[in-house]
Amino acid sequence: MRIGIVCPYSFDVPGGVQFHVRDLAEHFLAEGHEASVLAPADEDTPLPDYVESVGRAVPVRYNGSVARLNFGPVTASRVSRWLEQGDFDVLHIHEPVTPSISLLALWSAEGPIVATFHTSNLRSRAMQAAYPLLRPSLEKISGRIAVSEDARRTVTTHLGGDAVVIPNGVNVARFAEAPVNPSWQGTPDAPTLAFLGRIDEPRKGLPVLAAAMPAVLDRHPGTRLLVAGPGDVAAARERMDARVAAATDFLGMVSDDDKASLLASVDAYVAPHTGGESFGIVLVEAMSAGAPVVASDLPAFVRVLDGGRAGVMFANEDARDLAGKLGDLLADGPERERLCAVGQRRAEVFDWSVVAADVMAVYETVTHSTQEPRASSAGETRWTRLLRGRRAGEA
Amino acid sequence: MDAVTWGVVVVAVLLGVAWYLSYSAARLDRLHTRAEGALSALDAQLVRRAEATLELANSGALDPASALLLAGVASESLEAHNDRALEHDLLDGLTFGDREVTESGVTEALQVALTPEAVAQVRADGDGPGAVALQRVEAAGVRVQLARRFLNDAVKDVQRVRRKWLVKWFRLAGHAQLPSTVEFDDDLPPALRD
Repeated sequence: MRIGIVCPYSFDVPGGVQFHVRDLAEHFLAEGHEASVLAPADEDTPLPDYVESVGRAVPVRYNGSVARLNFGPVTASRVSRWLEQGDFDVLHIHEPVTPSISLLALWSAEGPIVATFHTSNLRSRAMQAAYPLLRPSLEKISGRIAVSEDARRTVTTHLGGDAVVIPNGVNVARFAEAPVNPSWQGTPDAPTLAFLGRIDEPRKGLPVLAAAMPAVLDRHPGTRLLVAGPGDVAAARERMDARVAAATDFLGMVSDDDKASLLASVDAYVAPHTGGESFGIVLVEAMSAGAPVVASDLPAFVRVLDGGRAGVMFANEDARDLAGKLGDLLADGPERERLCAVGQRRAEVFDWSVVAADVMAVYETVTHSTQEPRASSAGETRWTRLLRGRRAGEA
Repeated sequence: MDAVTWGVVVVAVLLGVAWYLSYSAARLDRLHTRAEGALSALDAQLVRRAEATLELANSGALDPASALLLAGVASESLEAHNDRALEHDLLDGLTFGDREVTESGVTEALQVALTPEAVAQVRADGDGPGAVALQRVEAAGVRVQLARRFLNDAVKDVQRVRRKWLVKWFRLAGHAQLPSTVEFDDDLPPALRD
């Protein structure tokens, strides 16, 4: 099957959607399908050969955080060219409701289209304002996928209709086989905790963890907090209690391999996110690597952790509760071992082999529904499409 | 304003209206095509599910009573499909030809027959015909769920656009029937998903 995948966010920076797109494409390529990814990227960013760049992305504020996106007429014509050259059997567009190449691809594409919705916090204001304009494009989507129940609820509330839930995939084996790094490994006297994510984005919850740390240090004085993620280290240190700052190692941005090793080495992984998470893939990664997970009780996290059975949950933004749960877990070795085993079993559900098979079932369903050969796009410009209402399959 | 200017304005407005009408008609037509496609996809997946169910029934991996039950509902589903095969409008004008009850019946029979014990027993014989058929039943069952959901999405879009006054006044939908959503039980037997 020839699969075209559109990723709205720039490949210059790591992110959940980018990783999802990359892993999905690689999985299908390994299965012998043809897959091509269209995404924004700087010229000097090294890209795998299945990724085609639409050029440099511009940082814009959208949906509550700064995203690097592409738009404009030049980009639109690049998108059209990629679609024409690719001649895909199915086009898979991620986050179609962003001002990005995803929307542009949806606008000019014909033939079977699958869309994946990742976000759970669509801004209804922006959506409602632009709705009449977007609607005809959104109507072209034959199959909608949501990565979580929350994302699905967003789709049904804002767009109407329904979406099938297919969770994000994780390469479980890669995390399960990650080597342990002794310098990140905890000892009974000096257990280690991991935090992953941008350190200057409050949504990721580092302030909550920092506020909980003094109480944790009271009970377990040797505890070390390993913080992996980009951001201003000096400013983050400044915001912390002096004792906490001393117990914290800032690792900066780590490679994928180091991230896996970090999760495989620590005594607990803490996810103090305060909101805006629709799935929580990093929780699955931590479980795959065998790290006991301590997470805020966001609905998405509760679901990933199987209702709290596969990890420890604390009340969102409640540093005291977090401190209590963390302190208890660090004192209880057998419980950590139990969580490690339960988590690894839970993670299997999210393995790419399972997830990609479900996505392929969606592709097969939507391609089956268009038996008519697609109208050849030769000789068809955007102008003629506009005149004819851009309809597919017309004689 | 002189007559020429007025003429230009009128022609421009008429052109605009004409373009919007043709654009809306094309949009509606695209939606109809999508709904029809989704319905035929659902039809195809239901046939596949029925065939796989029949195969499972005849594989000898199940006890004779369960096999008879499954064979009964599966052949009923296939008959309902074949009854329409010779008609020009296979899909009966975008309605489902009252097959909902039949298909709910297939789902129900699969749930009753495929208990955890039965599934374990069939799967125990490795690559035997029963296990292969069971896998196909599961795959087709998942795709039936997907196809029905995608169909209902498409149908709701068609219904919404056809409620617009422009579409009603100018009869942009032509003679096409208003499609309705297809509702039947398509849950997989819980034992299959473990």
